[in-house]
Amino acid sequence: MTPSPEGRPEETDMELINRWKAGDTRAATRLVGRHSQALARFAASAGEWQGIEELVQDTFVRAFASLDSFRGESTLRTWLFTIERRLMLDRRRAERRSRETVPVHESDQVSEYGALDGLIAEEAQERVRKSLEALSPTQREVFTLRVQQGLSYKEIAEVVGSTEGAARVHYHNALTTVKEFLRDE
Amino acid sequence: MNKCTDSEIQEMLPDLLHRALADDARQRVEAHLASCESCREEMEILRTVKSAAVFAPSIDVDRVVRQIPPYKAIIPGIEAPAWHRPVQWLVAAAATLIIIVGGSMLATRHNARVERSVRIDTLEPRVVDNSNASLPPKWAPVDSQQPIRRGARALARAHALALAADVDGLSDRSLVQLMNEMDRFDALPSAEPDPVISVDSGDSL
Repeated sequence: MTPSPEGRPEETDMELINRWKAGDTRAATRLVGRHSQALARFAASAGEWQGIEELVQDTFVRAFASLDSFRGESTLRTWLFTIERRLMLDRRRAERRSRETVPVHESDQVSEYGALDGLIAEEAQERVRKSLEALSPTQREVFTLRVQQGLSYKEIAEVVGSTEGAARVHYHNALTTVKEFLRDE
Repeated sequence: MNKCTDSEIQEMLPDLLHRALADDARQRVEAHLASCESCREEMEILRTVKSAAVFAPSIDVDRVVRQIPPYKAIIPGIEAPAWHRPVQWLVAAAATLIIIVGGSMLATRHNARVERSVRIDTLEPRVVDNSNASLPPKWAPVDSQQPIRRGARALARAHALALAADVDGLSDRSLVQLMNEMDRFDALPSAEPDPVISVDSGDSL
């Protein structure tokens, strides 16, 4: 248990889960507050540019509905990332299907990151955004989970459904691409 | 700028960024960074990538929490809702019915097959090694106690003809004897005891 900014010991995720199961809704607020921004950042860096808040909300609704299946073998955040990633994949599949049936207009054909242009102020961030765009989807996921979320290779492997070794390779390939991109800019 | 070859340090750079290193490891990485330009550049890239994640929208925590349904404990054995139980019974009953009907059909088919094969066995001429007789070993003596079966004569004749290919191996004496016996088949009484083709060294058949 780590101390909170107020000096009180910070409750662990498992303790909060047990409190929520006992009927304490404030525990749910603490858990959502603790992990929601990380989930939003992961979604944004993975290329989601619309409905991030809904995505995060759906992730928590799914997670809380199946908390009995969470055994605490991984961290709660890793487990939440896994759920969120599945939801993102479902969304993309649904979008792909609707794109096959609905004609796409010229103006709609922007990249996933294109809509974020207004949100990114600094030039350095813009360059990073472009370098991430050059990565494959898996490389981007692995790289952002390692660099932006600080997950270990073991945790990343759990989230993306791969192995530690594969996650390591994806990370190094992504880093090489990002370095080269930033040097060339 | 020379590329750093200390992969162990490079592996720890994201952990340093997230303050996830133990004190001794952190001091080791920081000491390395002080002397390695390549790793300093890499660390700077990682810092930029990390800070670039700020574009994610802020989440309204209360709104999210309002959507979360209250906890329902799942107790083993009674977790199935009431409406779900009749469905489970129906599925179980259907499975049992399929097993019983399927099993009885299989058993019936199997019995019919066995019965048919037994019938054919009893109709077939028996070919045994009769080494004591003067005849070739293919012919067995008639067992007069065997039951008589309909169509046995016709079948025996067909078998005798089917054996024609083996006639080459018979001696002249055996061949003549066989021909004689075959001529006598039609003269056999209807209450012939056995369909087995038999050639006896004696006169009785």
